[in-house]
Amino acid sequence: MIGKPAWFARRKYSGWGLTPATWEGWAYIILMVLPLAFFQAMPYWTPQVRLAVTGVWALLLLVDVIDIMLRLRMDEREKLHEAIAERNAAWYMVVVLAIGLGYDMMMNAATEKIYVNPFIAAALFGAVLVKAATNIYLDKKN
Amino acid sequence: MKTRILELRKAKGMTQQELADKVGASRQTINALEQGRYNPSLVLACRIARTLGKEHVEDVFDVE
Repeated sequence: MIGKPAWFARRKYSGWGLTPATWEGWAYIILMVLPLAFFQAMPYWTPQVRLAVTGVWALLLLVDVIDIMLRLRMDEREKLHEAIAERNAAWYMVVVLAIGLGYDMMMNAATEKIYVNPFIAAALFGAVLVKAATNIYLDKKN
Repeated sequence: MKTRILELRKAKGMTQQELADKVGASRQTINALEQGRYNPSLVLACRIARTLGKEHVEDVFDVE
Protein backbone atom coordinates (compact mmCIF):
# COMPACT_ATOMS: atom_id res chain seq x y z
CA MET A 1 0.00 0.00 0.00
CA ILE A 2 1.82 3.15 1.23
CA GLY A 3 4.69 2.05 3.48
CA LYS A 4 7.38 -0.44 2.49
CA PRO A 5 8.61 -3.29 4.75
CA ALA A 6 12.24 -2.35 4.02
CA TRP A 7 11.73 0.90 5.95
CA PHE A 8 10.87 -0.88 9.21
CA ALA A 9 11.98 -3.58 11.62
CA ARG A 10 9.78 -5.62 13.90
CA ARG A 11 9.66 -4.14 17.39
CA LYS A 12 11.54 -6.53 19.70
CA TYR A 13 12.42 -4.75 22.94
CA SER A 14 9.52 -2.37 23.52
CA GLY A 15 6.26 -4.16 22.81
CA TRP A 16 4.66 -5.11 19.52
CA GLY A 17 4.45 -3.47 16.11
CA LEU A 18 7.00 -1.74 13.94
CA THR A 19 9.96 0.52 14.54
CA PRO A 20 11.59 2.68 11.82
CA ALA A 21 14.84 1.22 10.49
CA THR A 22 15.58 3.86 7.82
CA TRP A 23 14.97 7.58 7.31
CA GLU A 24 12.03 6.64 5.05
CA GLY A 25 10.48 4.88 8.05
CA TRP A 26 10.81 8.01 10.17
CA ALA A 27 9.39 10.12 7.33
CA TYR A 28 6.45 7.71 7.06
CA ILE A 29 5.75 8.01 10.81
CA ILE A 30 5.84 11.81 10.64
CA LEU A 31 3.73 12.06 7.48
CA MET A 32 1.15 9.54 8.67
CA VAL A 33 0.86 10.46 12.36
CA LEU A 34 1.22 14.26 12.18
CA PRO A 35 -2.04 14.72 10.22
CA LEU A 36 -3.93 13.18 13.17
CA ALA A 37 -2.83 16.14 15.34
CA PHE A 38 -3.37 18.56 12.43
CA PHE A 39 -7.01 17.43 12.05
CA GLN A 40 -7.69 18.32 15.71
CA ALA A 41 -6.50 21.89 15.10
CA MET A 42 -8.69 22.59 12.06
CA PRO A 43 -10.75 25.61 13.22
CA TYR A 44 -13.76 25.39 10.88
CA TRP A 45 -14.48 21.68 11.13
CA THR A 46 -17.47 20.50 13.14
CA PRO A 47 -16.78 17.78 15.76
CA GLN A 48 -18.54 15.25 13.51
CA VAL A 49 -16.32 16.06 10.51
CA ARG A 50 -13.22 16.01 12.71
CA LEU A 51 -14.18 12.63 14.16
CA ALA A 52 -14.96 11.17 10.71
CA VAL A 53 -11.73 12.41 9.08
CA THR A 54 -9.63 11.29 12.08
CA GLY A 55 -11.34 7.87 12.08
CA VAL A 56 -10.79 7.30 8.35
CA TRP A 57 -7.13 8.38 8.59
CA ALA A 58 -6.52 6.20 11.67
CA LEU A 59 -8.13 3.22 9.90
CA LEU A 60 -5.93 3.80 6.83
CA LEU A 61 -2.86 3.92 9.08
CA LEU A 62 -3.88 0.73 10.91
CA VAL A 63 -4.53 -1.21 7.67
CA ASP A 64 -1.23 -0.01 6.19
CA VAL A 65 0.76 -0.98 9.32
CA ILE A 66 -0.85 -4.45 9.31
CA ASP A 67 -0.01 -4.78 5.60
CA ILE A 68 3.64 -3.82 6.28
CA MET A 69 3.86 -6.30 9.19
CA LEU A 70 2.47 -9.13 7.05
CA ARG A 71 5.01 -8.40 4.29
CA LEU A 72 7.97 -7.99 6.65
CA ARG A 73 10.26 -10.97 6.03
CA MET A 74 12.01 -12.89 8.78
CA ASP A 75 14.51 -15.69 8.46
CA GLU A 76 14.18 -18.96 10.41
CA ARG A 77 16.24 -17.78 13.41
CA GLU A 78 14.23 -14.57 13.73
CA LYS A 79 10.96 -16.56 13.48
CA LEU A 80 12.17 -18.91 16.22
CA HIS A 81 13.16 -16.03 18.48
CA GLU A 82 9.85 -14.27 17.93
CA ALA A 83 7.88 -17.46 18.60
CA ILE A 84 9.68 -18.06 21.91
CA ALA A 85 9.31 -14.40 22.97
CA GLU A 86 5.58 -14.40 22.08
CA ARG A 87 5.06 -17.68 23.97
CA ASN A 88 6.73 -16.26 27.08
CA ALA A 89 4.65 -13.07 26.84
CA ALA A 90 1.48 -15.16 26.37
CA TRP A 91 2.29 -17.28 29.42
CA TYR A 92 2.86 -14.19 31.54
CA MET A 93 -0.50 -12.76 30.43
CA VAL A 94 -2.31 -16.06 31.11
CA VAL A 95 -0.88 -16.26 34.64
CA VAL A 96 -1.83 -12.64 35.43
CA LEU A 97 -5.34 -13.08 33.97
CA ALA A 98 -5.87 -16.31 35.91
CA ILE A 99 -4.73 -14.60 39.14
CA GLY A 100 -7.10 -11.70 38.34
CA LEU A 101 -9.98 -14.08 37.75
CA GLY A 102 -9.28 -15.91 41.02
CA TYR A 103 -8.98 -12.63 42.92
CA ASP A 104 -12.29 -11.37 41.48
CA MET A 105 -14.05 -14.61 42.40
CA MET A 106 -12.66 -14.56 45.96
CA MET A 107 -13.69 -10.95 46.49
CA ASN A 108 -17.17 -11.63 45.14
CA ALA A 109 -17.52 -14.82 47.18
CA ALA A 110 -17.09 -12.68 50.30
CA THR A 111 -20.21 -10.76 49.29
CA GLU A 112 -21.97 -14.01 48.27
CA LYS A 113 -22.20 -13.00 44.62
CA ILE A 114 -20.98 -15.13 41.74
CA TYR A 115 -19.43 -12.86 39.15
CA VAL A 116 -16.83 -13.61 36.52
CA ASN A 117 -15.38 -10.72 34.56
CA PRO A 118 -16.48 -11.51 30.98
CA PHE A 119 -13.43 -9.92 29.39
CA ILE A 120 -10.97 -11.96 31.46
CA ALA A 121 -13.00 -15.14 30.85
CA ALA A 122 -13.19 -14.38 27.10
CA ALA A 123 -9.44 -13.74 26.95
CA LEU A 124 -8.60 -17.06 28.65
CA PHE A 125 -11.23 -19.12 26.79
CA GLY A 126 -10.34 -17.46 23.48
CA ALA A 127 -6.66 -18.19 24.04
CA VAL A 128 -7.48 -21.89 24.55
CA LEU A 129 -9.40 -21.92 21.24
CA VAL A 130 -6.63 -20.05 19.36
CA LYS A 131 -4.01 -22.46 20.69
CA ALA A 132 -6.10 -25.50 19.69
CA ALA A 133 -6.82 -24.09 16.21
CA THR A 134 -3.12 -23.29 15.69
CA ASN A 135 -2.07 -26.81 16.71
CA ILE A 136 -4.69 -28.42 14.43
CA TYR A 137 -3.48 -26.26 11.52
CA LEU A 138 0.19 -27.01 12.19
CA ASP A 139 -0.42 -30.76 12.65
CA LYS A 140 -2.06 -30.88 9.20
CA LYS A 141 0.54 -28.63 7.57
CA ASN A 142 3.69 -30.43 8.69
CA MET B 1 27.93 -27.30 16.05
CA LYS B 2 31.27 -26.31 14.49
CA THR B 3 31.19 -24.55 11.14
CA ARG B 4 33.69 -23.43 8.51
CA ILE B 5 31.46 -20.59 7.33
CA LEU B 6 33.84 -17.81 8.42
CA GLU B 7 36.86 -19.42 6.77
CA LEU B 8 35.02 -20.25 3.51
CA ARG B 9 33.27 -16.86 3.36
CA LYS B 10 36.57 -14.98 3.74
CA ALA B 11 38.19 -17.20 1.11
CA LYS B 12 35.41 -16.12 -1.26
CA GLY B 13 35.86 -12.46 -0.27
CA MET B 14 32.27 -12.11 0.86
CA THR B 15 30.89 -10.02 3.70
CA GLN B 16 28.36 -11.41 6.18
CA GLN B 17 25.69 -9.22 4.57
CA GLU B 18 26.47 -10.51 1.07
CA LEU B 19 26.24 -14.13 2.22
CA ALA B 20 23.06 -13.34 4.15
CA ASP B 21 21.44 -11.78 1.07
CA LYS B 22 22.38 -14.79 -1.10
CA VAL B 23 20.94 -17.40 1.27
CA GLY B 24 17.89 -15.39 2.37
CA ALA B 25 18.91 -14.86 5.99
CA SER B 26 19.78 -11.85 8.11
CA ARG B 27 23.35 -10.72 8.81
CA GLN B 28 22.75 -11.46 12.50
CA THR B 29 21.88 -15.07 11.65
CA ILE B 30 25.10 -15.50 9.66
CA ASN B 31 27.04 -14.06 12.60
CA ALA B 32 25.29 -16.46 15.03
CA LEU B 33 26.11 -19.38 12.72
CA GLU B 34 29.77 -18.38 12.47
CA GLN B 35 29.98 -18.16 16.26
CA GLY B 36 28.36 -21.60 16.58
CA ARG B 37 25.44 -20.14 18.54
CA TYR B 38 22.69 -21.31 16.18
CA ASN B 39 21.92 -24.63 14.48
CA PRO B 40 20.41 -23.99 11.04
CA SER B 41 17.63 -25.93 9.32
CA LEU B 42 18.66 -28.40 6.63
CA VAL B 43 17.41 -26.03 3.92
CA LEU B 44 19.51 -23.11 5.18
CA ALA B 45 22.55 -25.36 5.71
CA CYS B 46 22.29 -26.60 2.08
CA ARG B 47 21.92 -23.05 0.75
CA ILE B 48 24.97 -21.89 2.69
CA ALA B 49 27.05 -24.88 1.55
CA ARG B 50 26.15 -24.29 -2.10
CA THR B 51 26.76 -20.56 -1.89
CA LEU B 52 30.20 -21.22 -0.39
CA GLY B 53 31.00 -23.60 -3.26
CA LYS B 54 30.63 -26.87 -1.36
CA GLU B 55 28.53 -29.78 -2.59
CA HIS B 56 28.01 -31.42 0.79
CA VAL B 57 26.67 -29.89 3.99
CA GLU B 58 29.32 -31.83 5.94
CA ASP B 59 32.01 -29.77 4.20
CA VAL B 60 30.73 -26.70 6.03
CA PHE B 61 29.04 -27.98 9.18
CA ASP B 62 30.45 -30.46 11.65
CA VAL B 63 28.01 -32.01 14.13
CA GLU B 64 30.06 -32.72 17.24
